[in-house]
Formats: sequence, structure tokens, C-alpha cells
Amino acid sequence: MPAAKSTRGDIAIVGYAQTPSLRDANPSEVQLLVPTVTAAIEMAGIGRREIGFTCAGSCDYLTGGPFAFVSNLEAAGAWPPISESHVEADGAWAMYEAWMRLQEGDIDIALAFGSGKSSPSNPAEVWAQQLDPYYLAPLGVDPVSLAGIQARALLDSGKATEEDFARAVVNSRRNAASNPNAQLRDADASVEALMAQPYFRAPLRKHDCPPISDGAVAVVMARGDRARELCARPAWIRGMDHRIEAHQPGVRDLTSSPSTALAARKAGYDGGPLDVVELCGTFSPQELILLDALGLSLDGDTKVNPSGGALAGNPIMAVGLVRIAEAAARIIDGSANRALAHATGGPLLQQNLVCLLEGE
Amino acid sequence: MTDTAKEHMVMEHLVTLTYHERLTENLNRYADNLLEGRIIGAKCPSCGRVFVPSKGYCSLCVVPTTEADELELPDTGIVTGFTIIAPVNYYGQKKTEPFVYASVLLDGADTTLGGMDITGVAHSDLRSGMRVKAKWKPRGERSVEAMSNRGWGGFGDVVESFEATGEPDADEEAFKEHLF
Ligand SMILES: [Zn+2]
Repeated sequence: MPAAKSTRGDIAIVGYAQTPSLRDANPSEVQLLVPTVTAAIEMAGIGRREIGFTCAGSCDYLTGGPFAFVSNLEAAGAWPPISESHVEADGAWAMYEAWMRLQEGDIDIALAFGSGKSSPSNPAEVWAQQLDPYYLAPLGVDPVSLAGIQARALLDSGKATEEDFARAVVNSRRNAASNPNAQLRDADASVEALMAQPYFRAPLRKHDCPPISDGAVAVVMARGDRARELCARPAWIRGMDHRIEAHQPGVRDLTSSPSTALAARKAGYDGGPLDVVELCGTFSPQELILLDALGLSLDGDTKVNPSGGALAGNPIMAVGLVRIAEAAARIIDGSANRALAHATGGPLLQQNLVCLLEGE
Repeated sequence: MTDTAKEHMVMEHLVTLTYHERLTENLNRYADNLLEGRIIGAKCPSCGRVFVPSKGYCSLCVVPTTEADELELPDTGIVTGFTIIAPVNYYGQKKTEPFVYASVLLDGADTTLGGMDITGVAHSDLRSGMRVKAKWKPRGERSVEAMSNRGWGGFGDVVESFEATGEPDADEEAFKEHLF
């Protein structure tokens, strides 16, 4: 077999679509996906049968049925049979697999999508199940309690204050005000008003936590000249990488995210100027930890979460790919030339994915 | 290690996950109609296939279907595939005698109803292609409580069974694409 020519830097996002982030969507998960996948394909201007590979991300524990992910595939149009795969993870990891598949060089177009409805279940019940089955899952440790432990560690380390948490929320609420897909928006959000709120799970206040959300997102990628044909200004994927840390939160320094820093480096981020960063910090302290891992801050030249980020809408299993789609949107519309997007999985930023996007 | 120590290596961890959701709009209309003794499906505006119940979209054309695409179907059809289950006494199994689990293709439909009981015929005489008609439960005994958005058990508990009509069997052409 001849050695494949590396096409790593020659793949771009040329189409994307998402549903609004909704507290309680009546349509089924696949019904959310059908118009979303169609819209992404229409934006790319391709025929459905031109897609060489499809990858989906979702979670059967959220949907509440074994093999629930299979019906989601109907949104891609799976008859006659197509080449496809599924990850039990955020759609960002589905995109990573599709991006890897495109690098084989024998297909030109790939589709990735992510979807999830958190509204039918109790997140405290469901997400306790992703913890280790001997020590933490039997305790029923829920995401908000875990995030509270992380927030406390961050305060104790002196790296951040509760006002800093509130500043991340203000940034989110204000940016989300101009994002029709965001769930929580407030153009008038202020640190003073947020700090006056009572604790929800100390030291976290309710606004430091993400909303419960339903939603779906889809992204179309194309290679080389095909991407240039389909899109006036493709969002070129300069690199994408994901790294993982220990599963057990108790053996990690919860106040830093070395896996994010490493993934960013491996994705080609050299610390140079960025126009936009879209972070999947689902609790406000996590946003600060991620900014720190990337050498960025809320006050720098890089626009942080112009969409509002995960604090403004958290459709789990879509929310990470939404970050990439939002970053790509800014490249494609010309408002940014270099953007970095992040997705996460597992308890307390256990696993992190970074995608570096650039205009031509 | 003593046996006692080994006993302590066993840990019981029972998990309950509770889900609350409303039926999708298309299934909600379907359920309401079943309680009234009517079966509705949705006809794809693109390919004309009739889905029972409606999925809210056509899974082949990937186009949404709406209430305007819904139509009533007769409660008659044919058995496509079937199995006869000899129940074992597992947790939750209420049946004690062998029973039928059949797929029924309603006249005018392109998808089958699964898990139907077939009566009026000896188990040994069951055949694919056999004509059947719904034997509805009395109105007050019909229930759609077990219906979910998840594709399994999409007929609720509204009929006693589908009963063999005694009409001539349908030709294999009528069901060979619908065995499951
Ligand atoms: Zn159709």
C-alpha cells in the first residue's frame, strides 16, 4: 500500500447547524437532529450521498434506552447503507473521528453530529454513573457537588476568587444576549448583582452552574479544493487533539488542566494571537481553569466565548461540538482569522479536546 | 485469605435511573387516536411511504412529517413474521403459557406493528401472510401508559390481539420486505 499523503492541515469546516439550547424540548432526539443535519448539509451545498463518512456522538444513559443512538443515525439518511460510526461521547469526539477518517485521503466529505436531551432524566442520578463504581458512584456524587469541590480547591489555591467566578458568568450572559441559540441571556448582567445571590452548593451560586439543556448540532467537513469549492472562506482545521487525565478526581490537581494545555500544544496552538476562543467550561470556575491552561484571560485581546459558552446553554453531548461550530462560524463569516475551540468529557475536565481553526 | 474476607469483597450497588418525558407531538396524537379505536400513520410527502406510528419524519428521505401528513389506517392487515415464546420464569414475566409475538403489517402501511398476539388460530397453524383484524379492548380498558418515545412497545395496550379472519393468505410479495 502506498504511503498516504498527509492531509492533516487541509481539512475544513464548510457547513454547520445547531438547534437552540432548550430547557425541555418536546421533539425526540432524532427529531431534533433531522432538521439540524439537513441544515448543515444545505449550508455546505452538498448532496447527502456525497458524504463519505458519518460519525455521531450521544449518550444512551441520557436518552434512557439501550442502543438509543441507533435511531439518531436516521437523521443522516442511512439507507442505502452508509459508512458510519458512533462515539458514546460529545459530538466533538465524533468530529475528531471523522477528521481522522478524512485524513485517509480517499474521501472528500464527512459529517459529524452530536445530540442530547438532559431534560428527561435527573443529571445527579445519571452522571454519578460515570464515576468509578467502587468509591464514588455508590456515594451518588453528583456533578454540582463535584464542581463545588473543584471551586473550593480553586479558591483555596488563591488562583481565583468568587468575584472571578461571577466575572466569567457576566461575560457569558452578556455575550449570550446576542446569540439566539443561547438559553440564558442577560445583556445587563453584573458582578454585583450575581454576588448578591445566595449559595446553591457553596462556594457555587446557581449562575455558576450550567442550565439543563436539550439540543443538537451538526458539522460538515471537506478536504482541500473541495472545501474551497463549497465555501468562500472555509474554517481550516489546523489541528485537533484530545488528552485524558486520571479518572479519579481525588488524584488530580483540580485547579489546573494539563490535558487541555497539552491538547492545545498538540493541536498546533503555539500561544500566538487568537481572535476567538470557545471553551466548554460547564461551571464558571472551569472556564477560569481552562483560560489559565491556554495562557488566556477574560481581559485579554482574545474574545472569550462570544456565543456565551456552555454556561449559557449546555446540551450535553452536543455542547462541545457547538463550541467548534461557533468558532468555525466566526472564521467563515470573516470576523475572526484564528480561533480555538474546546470540548470536555468525564468528571471535572477529565478529558479535553482542542481544535485550532484558521482562515486561509 | 479466609472465606470471611472474601465475602467482604462483594459489594452491592443498585442503581435506579428515572426518566420523565412527554410523548412527542406525533406520538401523542397517535396515542389519543388509539384510545378512540383509530390507528393513524404518517405518509412521507417525498416517497409516499406510510409509517405507523409516525416518527415525525421519514427515515429514508430524511424529511419531517407533520399532522397534515397523517392519515387513518384500517385495523386489518397481515402477519409478516412471528415467533412463539415459551416463557421462562424470569423477573417481571407474567406469562406462563406459550404465546405469540408477531409483526403485523396493516393494510396501507409500510411499517409493521411489533409484538402482537395472534388469536383465532392454533399456534401450529400460524403463517406469514395470514390475514388478521384488531380485536379492540373495551374503551375503558385501553391504555397507552406503556408507550414511549423510544420505538419499542409503540402500540400501548389497546387491543386484546389481532385475530385471524379466515380470508385467503396474502401473497409473499406483500410481506417479503417486512418480515421483521
Ligand atoms: Zn420518504
